[in-house]
Amino acid sequence: MGTQVKDVIIKPDAPSTLLLDKHADYIAAYGSKKDDYEYTLSEYLRMSGIYWGLTVMDLMGQLPRMNRQEIVDFIKSCQHECGGVSASIGHDPHLLYTLSAVQILCLYDNVDALDVDKVVEYIKGLQQEDGSFAGDKWGEHSSQRLYSIYDSRLHPSPQGKIDSINVDKAVEFVLSCMNFDGGFGCRPGSESHAGQIYCCSGFLSLTGQLHQVNADLLGWWLCERQLPSGGLNGRPEKLPDVCYSWWVLASLKIIGRIHWIDKAKLRSFILACQDEETGGFADRPGDMVDPFHTLFGVAGLSLLGDEQVKAVNPVLCMPEDVLQRIDLQPDILS
Amino acid sequence: MAESEEEVDVLVQRVVKDITNAFKRNPNIDEIGVIPCPEARYNRSPIVLVENKLGVESWCVKFLLPSVHNKLLLYRQRKHWLDREALADITCTLLLLNPDFTTAWNVRKELLQCGALSPEKDLYLGKLALTKFPKSPETWIHRRWVLQQILLQSSGRSQKDPQSEEERADGEQSRRLNDQLARTLHQEMKVCSDAACRYPSNYNAWSHRIWVLQHMATGNVKVFHDELSSTRLWVSMHVSDHSGFHYRQYLLKELIAELSQAAASTTTTTTSTGVLQHMCSTVAGISPPHHDQANGEEAGEDGRQLSSTALLQLFHQEVELCTDLIQSFPGHETLWSHRRHVYYLWHDWRREHKHQCHRGSNGGSEPDRLENGDEGPLKACAQSPAGLGEDGVNGPRHAGEAMEVDGASLPDPRNSKRLKRGALPPGAPALPSEHGFVSGILDSDCDPEQRRFALAYRKWLDTVIVQHP
Repeated sequence: MGTQVKDVIIKPDAPSTLLLDKHADYIAAYGSKKDDYEYTLSEYLRMSGIYWGLTVMDLMGQLPRMNRQEIVDFIKSCQHECGGVSASIGHDPHLLYTLSAVQILCLYDNVDALDVDKVVEYIKGLQQEDGSFAGDKWGEHSSQRLYSIYDSRLHPSPQGKIDSINVDKAVEFVLSCMNFDGGFGCRPGSESHAGQIYCCSGFLSLTGQLHQVNADLLGWWLCERQLPSGGLNGRPEKLPDVCYSWWVLASLKIIGRIHWIDKAKLRSFILACQDEETGGFADRPGDMVDPFHTLFGVAGLSLLGDEQVKAVNPVLCMPEDVLQRIDLQPDILS
Repeated sequence: MAESEEEVDVLVQRVVKDITNAFKRNPNIDEIGVIPCPEARYNRSPIVLVENKLGVESWCVKFLLPSVHNKLLLYRQRKHWLDREALADITCTLLLLNPDFTTAWNVRKELLQCGALSPEKDLYLGKLALTKFPKSPETWIHRRWVLQQILLQSSGRSQKDPQSEEERADGEQSRRLNDQLARTLHQEMKVCSDAACRYPSNYNAWSHRIWVLQHMATGNVKVFHDELSSTRLWVSMHVSDHSGFHYRQYLLKELIAELSQAAASTTTTTTSTGVLQHMCSTVAGISPPHHDQANGEEAGEDGRQLSSTALLQLFHQEVELCTDLIQSFPGHETLWSHRRHVYYLWHDWRREHKHQCHRGSNGGSEPDRLENGDEGPLKACAQSPAGLGEDGVNGPRHAGEAMEVDGASLPDPRNSKRLKRGALPPGAPALPSEHGFVSGILDSDCDPEQRRFALAYRKWLDTVIVQHP
């Protein structure tokens, strides 16, 4: 009698082709159909929600369908006096939404819609003594924040702002989050987690410190995330989730070990997560869709080489052509 | 049934008041939830309080949330004034419905800072929110901020000018402070444990638990050891919970660090000796040895032996637990992952320990036997876990050893001496025995997943351990 492995079973009639038009329609209409309650519940992360929606539209070549002016105006009204940006109007500013705002404006080649100097000042002010960054003035810090800061710090001006933050200390903090299994947790001593691994690898890439990663060891941990269904989980004995198909896959790409997973099986898992009726991707086949999983499903397929979708940068999860425009090419191990 | 803005506003104000009053009526509410109830019943409050459970009827939530949400944001944009009490009530309602609404927690931080709220209130609110939203990242984040305020407050109080208090009062106050902190610590452990039960492999809950120990129990061997004891049963009943097992890895790592330090130092305090003795005595009914504290050097040596022996006990117990679970519940990746971690901690400690011994003046001419080649008096941990108890770490009894005891058996002091020589006591983890364990599993178990994990473990031993002797 075998154990029930934590995994999903992909039904034979699951979607097996990429339904790009349906996904574009889904994202374009998102928000207009949401009733007050649902939309209000997620308002605390609205800026990130917009980033997910716009990025996936751009990857699908459908960005013009979104209302550029409305979004840029919205972002402007979310920048606070301290320089930080909030998730939505009236909410408190935070590093995560500052990052999302900068990424959105990069897509639109309109970063100067924000007071860039103030953004840098805000970020600089969040660095702690141990090199980590607080998410906001209240002080909670983690390695995830680091990725955010470095990312958004780079966008305003790739050259020149590098001395605003103490990069060495920040690197030191990230490395202190490295565990014996090669992975990274959210704080020193925390459990390795695919999302944290993505943030930390991304950070080390942006700071030219990828050589500090034990690529073979980490690559092994990452490829052990692949389950019989082809999907990837974030930690041992968790169910597969399309967003981990991004965090894990992109990490493998960054450390040059993407060939260690079974690409064909992963692709069929991701495709099975589509909803043929509503468009969009869910975390796993049969569940409800949302923009978050839609982005990471499409981005994952792009990394796997799907030519119907634009090439995506594994470090920043943005179209490569956007990064080429601002001349930003983070390191990747081969 | 369309409702006008005014009607909605009146309803919302009433509901917020009802929630506030429910807490006033019953300070022991321990769980919140939404009651499926699609239609409002005329003139009845949607707030239901039964025993210690607070429920909100579902029909009102779609009005309630957007209304209080927008009210708070109007306040935040200085478009609408709310007094402190109203802010406290509104944020309470909001966070019970949507605890990831960061801005609402921030408003409460400001209320805390100006004294309008007590830290305990927010710990309580967070605890309630976690009964329904056990993962909520913002709730855990806010919790850590509140605990930091509590720690700051108490460290401020304990640094009072000694001249302004009597010695005795000072001692009492610091005892009270310590009691209070201890209570807070244990409350946090309970909150984390409850959240871990509510959602499998709850990363945020377990990672918070570690944070609490890092900030409120640094170097506290007793707490680490108690936590190991109290989570042992829990993980045995949650063999897929990777975060739960990681917590044990963390505890082990901390205990190793503390006890290694103790072993390396020349003296041990009475407190840690007591804890060490307790740790040694938790296996096989050994009564702790007495020793003469008058002779510092001897006491130091005894302390070192005690530490080493305690560490050995820890490893032995953890490997035994892991083995039992792997055999009882085949095909669980978490258990095999735990074995890797524990073995790695052991391997790493052995490496450190050898260096320490060589650095010391242990008559360094003893041959350095690497554990890889040391077959010695080993028994595979897995092959006879029961047998281990009789003959394992304790070893055969010897009368007339260094320590005076009242007749009972005691931790075999030869084991720590064996360790120093680089040899391994019976029953300790070792590469050959681990390979034996894997072979045993492969030979006996038909479960394909179990085979897969056993083979992966073997590969890991050969790749990671062997390459880092």
